[in-house]
Amino acid sequence: MKTISCFNICLLAIFALLAAACGDDSDNTKPVINLIEPADGDTLHIGDDVHFEMELSDNEELKSYKVDIHDNFDGHTHALSRDTEPESVAFSFNKTWELTGKKTASVHHHEIVIPENATPGAYHLMVYCTDAAGNEALVARDVVLSHEGGEHDHGDDDHDE
Amino acid sequence: MHAYLIPLAWCALLVVSPATASERDSLARETTGDTIASIRLEEVVITGRNYPGATRHASPLPVEITGKGFTREDFTGNFARALGRVPGVHSMDIGSGFSKPVIRGMGFNRVVVLENGVKQEGQQWGADHGLEIDAFNAESVAVHKGPASLLHGSDATGGVIEITRRPPPVDNRVVGELVLLARAMNGTVGGSAMIGMKRGAWYAKLRYTEQHFGDYRVPVDTVIYLTRRLPVAGRALKNTAGMERDVAGHVEYRLGAYHAWLTASNAYQKVGFFPGAHGVPDPARLEDDGNSRDTGLPYSSVNHLKVTTRQERGWERVSLRWDAGYQRNYREERSRFHTHYGTMSPPERSPDLELAFSLDTYSSSLRVTRDNGREWEQVTGWDMQVQRNRVAGYSFLLPGYDRLSTGLFGLVTYRPDTRLSISGGARYDRGRVEVFPYRDEHLEIYLREQGYSETEIARYRWRAYAVRRDFDDFSFSLGAVLDLDDTHLLKANIGKGFRLPGANELAANGVHHGTFRHEQGDPSLLPERGWQVDLSYSYRGGAWSLSASPFLAFFGNYIYLKPTGEWSALPHAGQIYRYAGARSLFAGGELSLGIDLPLGFSYRLSGEYVYSRNLDDRSPLSFSPPTQARNTIAWEKSGFRLHAEWQHIATQRRTAKNEDPTNGADLLHAGVTGAFSAGNSNVEITLALENALDKRYYNHLSFYRKIELPEPGRDLRVVIRIPFK
Repeated sequence: MKTISCFNICLLAIFALLAAACGDDSDNTKPVINLIEPADGDTLHIGDDVHFEMELSDNEELKSYKVDIHDNFDGHTHALSRDTEPESVAFSFNKTWELTGKKTASVHHHEIVIPENATPGAYHLMVYCTDAAGNEALVARDVVLSHEGGEHDHGDDDHDE
Repeated sequence: MHAYLIPLAWCALLVVSPATASERDSLARETTGDTIASIRLEEVVITGRNYPGATRHASPLPVEITGKGFTREDFTGNFARALGRVPGVHSMDIGSGFSKPVIRGMGFNRVVVLENGVKQEGQQWGADHGLEIDAFNAESVAVHKGPASLLHGSDATGGVIEITRRPPPVDNRVVGELVLLARAMNGTVGGSAMIGMKRGAWYAKLRYTEQHFGDYRVPVDTVIYLTRRLPVAGRALKNTAGMERDVAGHVEYRLGAYHAWLTASNAYQKVGFFPGAHGVPDPARLEDDGNSRDTGLPYSSVNHLKVTTRQERGWERVSLRWDAGYQRNYREERSRFHTHYGTMSPPERSPDLELAFSLDTYSSSLRVTRDNGREWEQVTGWDMQVQRNRVAGYSFLLPGYDRLSTGLFGLVTYRPDTRLSISGGARYDRGRVEVFPYRDEHLEIYLREQGYSETEIARYRWRAYAVRRDFDDFSFSLGAVLDLDDTHLLKANIGKGFRLPGANELAANGVHHGTFRHEQGDPSLLPERGWQVDLSYSYRGGAWSLSASPFLAFFGNYIYLKPTGEWSALPHAGQIYRYAGARSLFAGGELSLGIDLPLGFSYRLSGEYVYSRNLDDRSPLSFSPPTQARNTIAWEKSGFRLHAEWQHIATQRRTAKNEDPTNGADLLHAGVTGAFSAGNSNVEITLALENALDKRYYNHLSFYRKIELPEPGRDLRVVIRIPFK
């Protein structure tokens, strides 16, 4: 029995040693996205630019962010539905911005422009952000594209992030 | 524990005699003149082992056997999930229907599943493809932990799960069994009937299995998908119901030293996908449809047809065995037509067919075993496999490919006495993979509309690259088994494993609809290669049993999905993940202790630990199983068994990049099994209560982990087994 418990202890010691010897030193912490505008459920005005505002931060170094907007027609099965405005084109936006060297970033711009011929309806807005090590964060929002209403100040939006 | 140690003497002698049965016979002749007056046989000792014992002793790698117990407390109707009870083995779950096994953190196509000597094909297609095996038909299962490329070629880097069937009865008779299963968690109702008939040299067997299950019930009201909280109506995942239907037939002939069999089986599964994890989520699609047992769109169905045959003949010093098999795996995923590209319209024929894969596999394996009747035994083998994969559907996931692989090996075993056995061998494999390219014209138009340059478009329009690669590799293995008086068993092995890169690892280029990532293959990938050292010690004496099996593996090239930091231009994709090779380390082991206490009580402790590290990225590898321990106390008396188990799962914080940590849990399980005779049958009823405290916990290896979908809550299972003779 003595040999057995000895063996046991040795085994545990080996495991403990292994675990200690190779501590993880790579950065596995994701960047943090605080998307302020547009908020979830916001209406974006067709033919206008989008008021885009967010705070980004990372424990080490930010790299880049990407904004992806695409249609979410017909109960999100992406099926074609352009009955209302046959001449219009489903809006699709895909653009990346560099942030290399920064640990935090305040983003505020009006670079997203919705053309006049964009099909009104439900859309998804997704913001991706990567850090220098390859960690990636994502925020998704539901937005509506419409000819009416649209961009106006949202004083106290309830963001879920 | 002793339940599956019931000596299957007849089988043992047949299976084991060339391997471990030792024959010590001495013949004393007393002759007078030139006539033999008498022959006095002094002593003939034939030692045989029961099947589990023999399998455990035959391999220098740690082996776990699940016998009859497999169809008792652990039986859930899902093969890979039931295997998750074996220390060092986990199941990677894809909803309630599909699961695949992971051995010591190595999953996907790093585990070979052998059924009746033929490698099961199909489950390796991708992250969300399960294993199509009839759990009721897995009569005996041996798990070989460690690299077994020497005997099985590519893919066996993590280990081998070997499914064998029970031997036929010795005398002419009809045997059969009826197994019924019911499960509360998803309303499973299933059963399997088997009938076998032995007549002289012939034995025939037929099995039919059918299972139906309703929506998967979970102890939460919401799940998270793409950072959004989605409701789970009535705590049941809508549209995850499904069914399974399996048929298997087997004919066997044995006369003298000749043995042959033919087995044909067909496994069919149809399981719905949770609409919250397929496509783009929307609360509207997750509303309760009022029916928890229907399977609507989106769903997937798989049909696996398998025909295998064995021819075996033994002579005095040589035996010959040939296994041949044909498998046809057809899987399809149906979902209402959807696209990201306005230029694409639904196909005229089968507009709902999103993806279809059809894989044909032909395999052959030849073994020649020679021995000198004493200490030496030599096995020479030649394996060959031809695969042809074709794809269809309006969407694209994996490319079509042709693959040919062949390998030649030699293994020598030296047994200087009955206690020690040393074996070593080498193998050479060659493989050729040809992946067919796939050009996505709709994507091309979309990217042009988005204003991408032609050079950029050229990078994306091939959803699969044209790849033609030739591979070759050597495998080695050297091991020893020392068996001291049947109480101490010591094993040591060093082996090299390898794996040819899969078609997706070489050629894929696009968003995987299951992982929501832009996954890109690398046509220049080298085969995965690793060395592993395994030790194992087990002690069995009196009321005590103990076993420990540590291992250490180093991969010079371990293929993983590496985040590149490059943005993908594809809709719904973040950065590109590219398959890459990295130097990696795996270490860990299993430990178990059993004590037979007085008054029919027994206690068992088993634990497992895996450490994984990507040495190039200086970070853990993804899907590292958490440390786990099980404490089981049981009471057994005259066919009646009661058990309670405390399962501790540690928090897994060692995660790869972009993989979330998973909290641990303490779970309580209990079960009762009773056997009683009814008529001329010995009916066995098992009641198993899993997660008795209704804890909400997560499986780090689950496919649905990323949408924060927990494991089932409290679940009650009933298994009734009625054998007849």
